[in-house]
Amino acid sequence: MGKQIIFLFALLGLLSPLSSLAQQSRVEVNAKADTDKIRIGEQVKLRLSATVEQPAGLTVVFPQVPDSLSHWEVVTRSKIDTAGDNNKKIFSQTLTITSFDSGHWDIPSFRFDVVQNAGGATDSAFTSPLGIDVGTITVDTTKAFKPIKAVRTVGWNFWDYWLYFAIGISGILIGIGLIVYFRSRPKKEVVKPVVPLIAPYDAALQQLQQLRGEKIWQQGDVKQYYTRLTDILRAYFEQQFNIPALEQTSEELLQHIKPVTILNQQRDKLRSLLTVADLAKFAKLHPSPDEHEAAIQQAIEIVEWTKPAVAKAPETVKEEIKQP
Amino acid sequence: MENTSTDIRQLNEKIHQASAFVDLLNLELSKVIVGQRYMVDRLLIGLLAQGHVLLEGVPGLAKTLSIKSLSSAINAKFSRIQFTPDLLPADVVGTMIYNQQKNEFIVRRGPIFANFILADEINRAPAKVQSALLEAMQERQITIGDTTFKLDDPFLVLATQNPIEQEGTYTLPEAQVDRFMLKVVIGYPTKEEELHIIRQNLNPQNTAKINPVIQPADILEARKLVREVYMDEKIERYILDIVFATRNPEDYKLQKLKPLISYGGSPRASINLALAAKAYAFMKRRGYVIPEDVRSICFDVMRHRVGLTYEAEAENVTSENILSEILNAVEVP
Repeated sequence: MGKQIIFLFALLGLLSPLSSLAQQSRVEVNAKADTDKIRIGEQVKLRLSATVEQPAGLTVVFPQVPDSLSHWEVVTRSKIDTAGDNNKKIFSQTLTITSFDSGHWDIPSFRFDVVQNAGGATDSAFTSPLGIDVGTITVDTTKAFKPIKAVRTVGWNFWDYWLYFAIGISGILIGIGLIVYFRSRPKKEVVKPVVPLIAPYDAALQQLQQLRGEKIWQQGDVKQYYTRLTDILRAYFEQQFNIPALEQTSEELLQHIKPVTILNQQRDKLRSLLTVADLAKFAKLHPSPDEHEAAIQQAIEIVEWTKPAVAKAPETVKEEIKQP
Repeated sequence: MENTSTDIRQLNEKIHQASAFVDLLNLELSKVIVGQRYMVDRLLIGLLAQGHVLLEGVPGLAKTLSIKSLSSAINAKFSRIQFTPDLLPADVVGTMIYNQQKNEFIVRRGPIFANFILADEINRAPAKVQSALLEAMQERQITIGDTTFKLDDPFLVLATQNPIEQEGTYTLPEAQVDRFMLKVVIGYPTKEEELHIIRQNLNPQNTAKINPVIQPADILEARKLVREVYMDEKIERYILDIVFATRNPEDYKLQKLKPLISYGGSPRASINLALAAKAYAFMKRRGYVIPEDVRSICFDVMRHRVGLTYEAEAENVTSENILSEILNAVEVP
């Protein structure tokens, strides 16, 4: 028994410096609500504070408040704020709490831990519990139930629709801008078909006569003579009958004149002319002088033969114009 | 030396006589091949112009039969190589094997040592095998170990590609495709031709066999004559215009083709177009080239040498479309 009493005193001796830490350093903790009476669901601002006299050499650890206390819900927590001067420091945190149960409910006391910086000795300080009345709405049960109110129309407000107005106006402005741009931009020059100053028929005949007059084959340049001769004919077919004759071989040309009846009637003559011309151009054939003369004569005959078709064209146009 | 009018006339007569075998060959081949005249003509062009042919067509269009028959008609050695993903270069060109009895390495020649090679489905083999074949095509010789072997002459490679199955294939790179003189796209026979094919194949009395009508030496002689076929400067310039139009279409008023072409024909395209045109003229039994000859083989020589852009592929524009536009725009001499 004696030994137990000695151990108890020894333990008290050890704990006594710790328990008095808060008192020695004059640490004061406090919990204060902004009201002691609320209606159900209303919020209470609860301020937790710790005042420490300086110089303290202490660290105050604020309580970790859970989301729910008995009958109370914590809505928000502020950060710990520090204020004070050289003599004392005040640490505070504001909690917003609410209750959804009616009655008189206590906010429990909160524990602050006080830790001595030198040595690490720890002590605790507690706030006093607070009692708050949570009232409910009084219902007059003597009166009859009232119907639920109908949905009310909110009045028209420009600012509810300003974005739509802005988009609409922007669209209209862009549209107007595009119309103005497309109307005012420089128009592409319409490429007018080049109307030859001289009719293809006349030009071909003129060039053939000129070729004859130049006496090219007489000077020995047979290849050049036949090249010029076929070029004149091909250009004539291209302009007069819209056959891409300059880009076609002799065989292709003979195939493509088939639909042009008047030209097709001269097919054999044209074939013979093109064959001799190809031989002269690509195989260094030297036809006889008679053949040279016959070639140009054939070319003139082909052009002359197609004259009726050339003359017919303007009449057709006139008739078409007369028709309403 | 410049050809005179008389030279060309003599040459024309000479070629007219020398090219008579073309008709004989066609007659002999028609005993077993129905239709496909276009393909046979192109094979002959390749043979005469010393160029190789890439054939594109679905299976069953008598590709193997054609080259085999041509080989028999010329009395030449034929060899067929089926390209597969596991084929090795040594399987094509040959390799050295160890002879235990003689205690030495001996050369085992590959199937490429023949006059006519059918490289079936060339795009099924990996690049190293394709490369081995294409190198042999270009160099016309093979090196196995320390020894270089000259390949047989005439040497014609006919490679086939299947256009409908692209999965698991190794597409020939542009540089390799360029080594083929012609890329021929073959189609189905006509209804009448196919009817004839059915009858010919089902007839039990049909024992048609190709007999040799000429010898490989005749082909070598003909090749020399093909080179002699007269090509006028106007035709040469026409060929250049076509090839240059694939490179700079805007110079030929074809600006719209510019965004569709990624690259145009190389100088090898110009050479091959000229050579093939000469061979075509020879087959037509002429001693000179006319623009028709160039146009006739232009698609086969150029279609694999015109690179298309993504834009062209997105718009389903083919190299044939581009070449058509070019031929319709370039002035014929």
